[in-house]
Amino acid sequence: MTPKIDSASLPSGMKPNGGSACAIATVFLLPLAMQAQTQQVPSYRAPRFPGTQNPDLNGIWQAMNSANWDLEPHAAAPSPFPTLLGTIGAEPAGLGVVEGGKIPYQPWAEAKRKENLAKRFTRPTTRELNDTTGDPEAKCYLPGVPRASYIGLPFQIIETSKLILLSYEFAGATRMVYMDRKPEAPADSWMGWSIGSWDGDTLVVDVTAQNDKTWFDRAGNFHSDALHVVERYTPLTPYHLMYEATIEDPKVFTRPWKIRMPLYRRMEPDIQPVEFKCVEFSEEFLYGHLVDKPGK
Amino acid sequence: MTRQVSRAEEFPVRHRFLAPRNALTTVAALALLAQMPVAGQPLATGGEQKTAAPASSTFATPRTAWGDPDLEGVYTFATLTPFQRPAALSGKDRLTEQEQKAQEEQLKKKQEENISTNEHFSYNAIWFASDQGRPTGRTSILVDPEDGHLPPLTEEGQRLREEMQAHAAAKRIGKDVVVDTWEDLSIYNRCIARPMPRVSQEYNQGAEILQTPGYVTIFYESMHDVRVIPLDGRPHLDSDIRQWNGDSRGHWEGDTLVVDWTNFSDEEKSDGSTPFGGFPQGNMHVIERFRRVNANTLDTLVTVDDPTIWTRPFTFDLPWRGDDPAYRGPDDLFEYACHEGNYRTMEDLITAAKAVRATQAGNK
Repeated sequence: MTPKIDSASLPSGMKPNGGSACAIATVFLLPLAMQAQTQQVPSYRAPRFPGTQNPDLNGIWQAMNSANWDLEPHAAAPSPFPTLLGTIGAEPAGLGVVEGGKIPYQPWAEAKRKENLAKRFTRPTTRELNDTTGDPEAKCYLPGVPRASYIGLPFQIIETSKLILLSYEFAGATRMVYMDRKPEAPADSWMGWSIGSWDGDTLVVDVTAQNDKTWFDRAGNFHSDALHVVERYTPLTPYHLMYEATIEDPKVFTRPWKIRMPLYRRMEPDIQPVEFKCVEFSEEFLYGHLVDKPGK
Repeated sequence: MTRQVSRAEEFPVRHRFLAPRNALTTVAALALLAQMPVAGQPLATGGEQKTAAPASSTFATPRTAWGDPDLEGVYTFATLTPFQRPAALSGKDRLTEQEQKAQEEQLKKKQEENISTNEHFSYNAIWFASDQGRPTGRTSILVDPEDGHLPPLTEEGQRLREEMQAHAAAKRIGKDVVVDTWEDLSIYNRCIARPMPRVSQEYNQGAEILQTPGYVTIFYESMHDVRVIPLDGRPHLDSDIRQWNGDSRGHWEGDTLVVDWTNFSDEEKSDGSTPFGGFPQGNMHVIERFRRVNANTLDTLVTVDDPTIWTRPFTFDLPWRGDDPAYRGPDDLFEYACHEGNYRTMEDLITAAKAVRATQAGNK
């Protein structure tokens, strides 16, 4: 069966007509994939956004890895609650997405990370516990950057001639990326403050003003409010972006470090974002202890 | 900054949902020549759009680089015009220019008083829309039925309303309203969603429209909600996929964006913050019509049809303004981290409910 390419999900400059989608795939994808392995893809030039010279990155994208479980290399592991879930919820192995393998923590921070991991599913039965302990993903809190990019659900790049809205399925999180000017962050926030620019065909996003409450993954990897992230989204083919994030936080790490992974375009016909408004799914976990229940 | 308000700060107001929303609209009026939609207007999407804001005869809708009408911009949709027409204005659908000026003056004065006395509001009035909430010129946002009042409920609608009222009554102990569990709160106060379609709100009333080939996107500051609206004629999502913000499909009729909006969640819980809210929305079908009428106004004409709840469809007309001084650009739409600030609210409300119930038991 010939896969149907959803032309609406492709950048406007490259709508396939008739069977050309397969031709594109055959002619371009193989050599590009080989080049991607060497991280050099000089031959691909993304289509332009109409009326501009900017690469058109519009579409629905998703990481395909287990970085949200653990950015560092890791073996498969059982579900945190195997008696409840059996194999479901088990942790898939991952090659790791950190350049050089390990995150360069300061000694105190390495200990803190271990503590985070040990207590990641702590029920927040007090205000203090809620503020200090447990994976914020379990609470459906806004995921922060870069975690939003690989949290396991797709996100949409909505790029116009003036700015870019990043819209994530997880928790319905959003970020506005300001392209034409550089307004200052009025305050710290969960998703930070994003200033974008183009480096050739690469979208570069400088992210500051994130609070200290988000994590990088389910393994307790964390940061402070001094976090500075520089993301790079480079189109490799019509169907792939290379995503890189350089992470700097002098309060927590000994040096800047980098993660890197491809993002894949979601290709289903009529693909569209669907809601994952997870607040409902978190309420029992967050507030259940407050309510007297029969038999408790 | 008026919009960096966490839900924890916002909530603690006991009777917020019982109080009338706009105590500020008491103005006599005469009718201006009005082009009202025909009573009983069906959900047909053709025909000339009847708008609240006067269309400038010289205004030509700009085009995007790919030829679509250009609706992009940062807008606000707060207004102090009430949803339904006040009894004193029965039979009058519009204010004259003079009356509108007088009303604006009066509202401004009232707003200043409210800020200095902090009355009539759940918390500091300075957070609320003032200049942003400019009246529409009509006597109600609702334009159909022509009398400016919501149509009668169906039997089922009436039954549901009584059920909600009974539930609310059961949660009233003396002058207190108790919240025994998070499920006693509206979906809005639980930070799950804000009922659609949005009508008017006092703060975080910003929205941005973004356009890309084949799509129009609406980003609402409140609840950081995003509606990506495909324009390619694809069918709606399967009816088993229900969403808080529904499922939107759009097309152009001349310079008007017409959006067909369905697949709403059936879980909607009582929420008096919407004039027609509180009902399950599973059978709701909405048609929106967005049209730029001048450089600074996007008119939105919204028809709501839910035969389960209402005996006929109704239509409201809400101008979105593009020149709100508090929303000059996209960076004035700030992160609406609602759920993230709600832990303490839940803790306080549920703990307080236990205390109220314990006192009640002790008094018996």
